[in-house]
Amino acid sequence: MPQIITEENLRNLIDLLVKESKVVVGPKETGSVVLYQPLTAGSDLRLDSLPRRSAKELFFPICENILTYQRQDGKMQVTDVDRSHFPETVLIGAPPCDAASPAILDAVFSWDYNDEFYLERRRKSTIVGIACTKGDDACFCTAVGLARDTEAGSDLFLTPLKDGSYGCKAVTEKGKALVDAHAALFGEAASVDAALFVEQGTEKLDLAKIKNWLEGHFEDPLWEKIADICVGCGSCAFICPACHCFDINDEGSTEQGSRRKHWDACGFSKFTNHASGHNPRDVQNKRYRNRIMHKFKYYDDKFGKTLCTGCGRCVRACPVGIDIAEILSTINAKQD
Amino acid sequence: MNAKANKNQGSCIEPSYYQAVTKAIRTQAVQILKEGTVAGLVGYLPGRRKGTARPALITTPEEAEKLIFSPACVNNLSVYLTKSKKGVLKQGRIGIVAKGCDMRALAGLMGESQIKREDLFIIAVDCAGVYGSGAERSETVTEANIARKCLECSVHHPEGADFVAGSATDLSGLTPLEAEEMARIEALPQAERWAFWKEHFSRCIRCMACRQVCPFCYCEQCLCDKNRPQAVESSPRPAGNTAWHIVRAMHLAGRCGGCAECERVCPMDIPLNLLNRRMAKELKELYDYEAGLAPAEKGPLTQYREDDDQSFIK
Repeated sequence: MPQIITEENLRNLIDLLVKESKVVVGPKETGSVVLYQPLTAGSDLRLDSLPRRSAKELFFPICENILTYQRQDGKMQVTDVDRSHFPETVLIGAPPCDAASPAILDAVFSWDYNDEFYLERRRKSTIVGIACTKGDDACFCTAVGLARDTEAGSDLFLTPLKDGSYGCKAVTEKGKALVDAHAALFGEAASVDAALFVEQGTEKLDLAKIKNWLEGHFEDPLWEKIADICVGCGSCAFICPACHCFDINDEGSTEQGSRRKHWDACGFSKFTNHASGHNPRDVQNKRYRNRIMHKFKYYDDKFGKTLCTGCGRCVRACPVGIDIAEILSTINAKQD
Repeated sequence: MNAKANKNQGSCIEPSYYQAVTKAIRTQAVQILKEGTVAGLVGYLPGRRKGTARPALITTPEEAEKLIFSPACVNNLSVYLTKSKKGVLKQGRIGIVAKGCDMRALAGLMGESQIKREDLFIIAVDCAGVYGSGAERSETVTEANIARKCLECSVHHPEGADFVAGSATDLSGLTPLEAEEMARIEALPQAERWAFWKEHFSRCIRCMACRQVCPFCYCEQCLCDKNRPQAVESSPRPAGNTAWHIVRAMHLAGRCGGCAECERVCPMDIPLNLLNRRMAKELKELYDYEAGLAPAEKGPLTQYREDDDQSFIK
């Protein structure tokens, strides 16, 4: 028998988790935008719009202290951040394009160096994903190999049903533990009828073919054509579920301050600026090329994964209308 | 196309108006490229998605045939003429499609010796309004989906261009939402005004889109990118965010042409143009000065005069 949870009980689940002192994060109205934010009650949850920023910030915050320093009696005292205080967190209401991204990012954050800030948050988190019931013409998750009902990355996966409740599937042990701990809220249904999805118009892309073209076209006029209009801001990277570059800055006074890790973007002109003054990516074309290469070639080379979930945020937000889905489609159509 | 036919009050601008403007732009662009009047031209091409457009650098008459003007042509293209985009455009005289609001930026950039009038061929658009951020991109522009800046546009009949596409649009009688919002905020007690901005700045992710899209942010070395010494915290935290937005507003005081591109591109919906407007109001009251109407070599904040008001020094 398939398991279900009613809309009311889903909100009750949030209330219960909050009572258990867990941090529950989900799409919430914040000012004029919807963002993934801590929910104070089940009623805070908004499932009708894709949050403006992706869910990556749960594991990879916009900015975090990695150590603090203080000078006392001429001696410098350096204090590490106590990561054991990171809270147990449940992320609720992430569509597949967001739920899939932490699983993709795990590879890079545990590769040549274990980023314990990221990894500790991942260990303490449970992701409740939800099948998507609507897309717009910026969405292209199906083009990069995901689908409206992709469970990858979710611990527990919900499917909106026609009667307003949700079908539940525990994908991992963490998901099963969440259901078992609150079994009274979950019921069983004789059959389930999933809500309809408005199909996206985007074509399916041949990612292997695209990667193959990228391998042979590091120097191609296409890059100039595309990136000539790029203004070099970081909005595409910052709101992307998969972009993960960061900078580290010491901020404060000579007496006390913090070392902070915060988001950075390859579109910025100073991103690869060397101390010598040399900048290997000295023009925007080279920077934009790197963005595409990183997502569809380098990451695949190293980790066997595509660094894009097709959420469409960059397409919607680009100040100058650069459309990554259109670019991929152009490359996909190339013969050589 | 007479004024009455294009009256926007409460109703909408017909798509046929934008089609006529598109045709005029194409004809003119093809001609100046064929004649060699310009080496290249910055205009708009349609985007893949319904109701979208994007900037384009055009160098051939064939490409110019594809240019469009529609309510989706929101960008202020003058950003492509500044130092930050140097080397992108071919050397020589450059054509540019500019709405009235964009022409204020061109005037400002001329005043600041960033571009020369004789190096430009301005194809101005008698603009009937563009879509607001996040608005429904339907066929027609209405009071419901028009950009806030268009609701109180005073420059939709552009002057001083080499060519004007379209004529006599009438945008009068619209509700000036932004002016109303500014009045509302100005009337708030200081603590509430502070809370308003604090909440907005807390969402800032320092993507710098506001800076990168601004025609007047052409500095090759931005104060906010310096870390030795660090004047403004570069990490996205409340203190640095607030400092950045104050620095931005102050640097634009007396210069900002009011295109509101900073606000349009903000992925976090921070109402940045309210800051710009506040600064513009200040300049108007103190110096009876408005930025960008005509090229001016020096503005009130970039010159010193013996009789400057010094009463604020205490």
